Amino acid sequence: MKEKPINHAGAAATFIADKPHLDFHDARLWDMRQKRDAQMHVLPEWQDLRSRASAIKEHALANLADYLEEFERNAKRNGIHVHWAADGTEHNRIVAEILAARGARTLIKSKSMVTEECDLRPYLAARGVTVTETDLGERIQQLDDQLPSHIVVPSVHKLTEDVARIFARHYGTDPDADDPHQLAEAQRLAARPVILHADAGMTGGNFFVAETGTFVVCTNEGNADLSATVPGVHIATIGIERVVPRMADLGVFIRLLSRSALGSPITQYTSHFRGPQDGGEMHVILVDNGRSARLGMDDFWTSLKCIRCGACMNTCPVYRRSGGLSYGAVYSGPIGAIIDPTFNERKYSTLPYASTLNGSCTNVCPVKINIHEQLFKWRQVLVEHHQMPFVKREIMHMAGKLMGQPKLYRAAIAGTETALGTLPRFALYNWLNPWGKNRELPEPVKETFHSWYRRNRPAAKPGQTDNAENTP
Amino acid sequence: MSARDTILATLRRNSPDPAAHPLPDPALLGESDASPERFSASLTQMGGTMLDCHPDEPLDQAIARRFPKPGLMICSLVPEATGTVQIEDLPTPQSAEPVDVTIVRAAFGIAETGSIFLSESQLHLNAIAHLTQHMVVLLDPAQITANMHTAYLRPEFHTARYGVLMSGPSATADIQGVLIRGAQGVRSLAVCFAPQ
Ligand code: SF4
Repeated sequence: MKEKPINHAGAAATFIADKPHLDFHDARLWDMRQKRDAQMHVLPEWQDLRSRASAIKEHALANLADYLEEFERNAKRNGIHVHWAADGTEHNRIVAEILAARGARTLIKSKSMVTEECDLRPYLAARGVTVTETDLGERIQQLDDQLPSHIVVPSVHKLTEDVARIFARHYGTDPDADDPHQLAEAQRLAARPVILHADAGMTGGNFFVAETGTFVVCTNEGNADLSATVPGVHIATIGIERVVPRMADLGVFIRLLSRSALGSPITQYTSHFRGPQDGGEMHVILVDNGRSARLGMDDFWTSLKCIRCGACMNTCPVYRRSGGLSYGAVYSGPIGAIIDPTFNERKYSTLPYASTLNGSCTNVCPVKINIHEQLFKWRQVLVEHHQMPFVKREIMHMAGKLMGQPKLYRAAIAGTETALGTLPRFALYNWLNPWGKNRELPEPVKETFHSWYRRNRPAAKPGQTDNAENTP
Repeated sequence: MSARDTILATLRRNSPDPAAHPLPDPALLGESDASPERFSASLTQMGGTMLDCHPDEPLDQAIARRFPKPGLMICSLVPEATGTVQIEDLPTPQSAEPVDVTIVRAAFGIAETGSIFLSESQLHLNAIAHLTQHMVVLLDPAQITANMHTAYLRPEFHTARYGVLMSGPSATADIQGVLIRGAQGVRSLAVCFAPQ
């Protein structure tokens, strides 16, 4: 299928042009990054935790088939139905069958990136099932008919006024509401009756444990536990890479996850499901959807260690200033730019370029994925696979060199308007565009990314510098 | 071939060398302080509170002080408190919806995070932990474990079908980053140290 590559740069330019949204987005994510740093600093064992998390994950991935079988055995023994889905379509069919067998017409669900991957909601809608997202951020995105823009905080690109507008339309609340408490309460009140009367509930899973057949869901709002315990049927969709061998391994990951994600010591809820509750029914769907193939990619298999904490997104200067939606994919940010091309090399061929390769992502990653090296590697692979014609490749190469050397890059952008003017359209469009001058946009971005950056962070508070972005 | 067999076969074919990736021994890292003081400091950080309760007053009195509004529906799952409704009278999750306050004893607590552990053994009806508006949790200080590593050595993780670590009340920061305590689950969570 010939799909057009995502125009990340163009979308990023639009995002940057909206100053109130951009400023909030940038500051909010940077705040999460700083809270993460504060948590790290109070734990002398932080680097030890990261090394162990990485080692456990690499071990689990190197023995994945065995651990999946062990999990399946134990989960079945505990009364869990275990299903296997090779891809999204198969996953969706399994969910639809479980629901149909029980005559279920309403499904409440908590946030799950895998179900986004599978595009579950439209599939079920076409079969007469009403799906209600119960996570606040995810619900906002569902009502606004957008993908989540961040894997932890799906609506982080929106301001209170945006939410007020959306809720007014769907919940009949005050369109001028400016108090987030009021809006969160509106969600609570709107969700309760839906939850109480839902035929089935669905969650994702952050980890599953081979030794015990347990899966673990880490959340903050309480909606996942409501979705799991109120209806009689609980379906959990989990990527096959999320396995850990032993219950005792969870400590390492739970200690890292929320600290890396939000800078809180733990999520408000860490829920362990080892079997159906009395009178209930429990299903686990283990989803491959490209993961088993990725395991065979020498340069990229360690991306399967990802625990989806979002730290690499929060720290990434490009992500913070381009917004998750600009990636045009289920997964955005640095980790998205590694994963997405494995789904569709052509469509996502531009994403590995949405990075300055500053290495900050690698430094914050709790499971020590060499993210920026994999981004660089992808650029090489895409060129080798001829996802770009010769001229474009050469320009990429040149631009890559520039981006690899910030001083040279800045000099090139700031000094040579003529060079930009004569660069082929592709180079501008894919790279320099959101941070440089773009003659094709109706409202050109007036300044370079770097000068914008300097202007917007002139009196950097301690720790708020380019350098700080680079420290672990 | 079934999806299962295809996936497993592909994984085996594509697997990195297992010998190059040994499994480390389970970790026991970090602070080993399991004191009630550390627990309550962590709980407070997570937005939970310590219930104002004195060892020699009836628990009902402390509950009444914390929730003075008359006519509240209170479900007590512990012998120390009376409540206004019995869990046996709440046969379905839907019937637990009007409950204002639930009083329950945790199996254990974690000093590092201020978390308390609840399972079907304590809750009887799992959904009540999330449908109730407020929660009061009794915790035996002798059942506080130091951190997440020591916690996962507890036997409950191998026996409970549903086991939740609740660390303060439900929360969200999904609207413009404003932290809101009391999102969709409990609006408040208060812990009272009570030896068993
Ligand atoms: S790649 Fe690392 S930092 Fe990024 S989301 Fe995954 S675990 Fe977190």
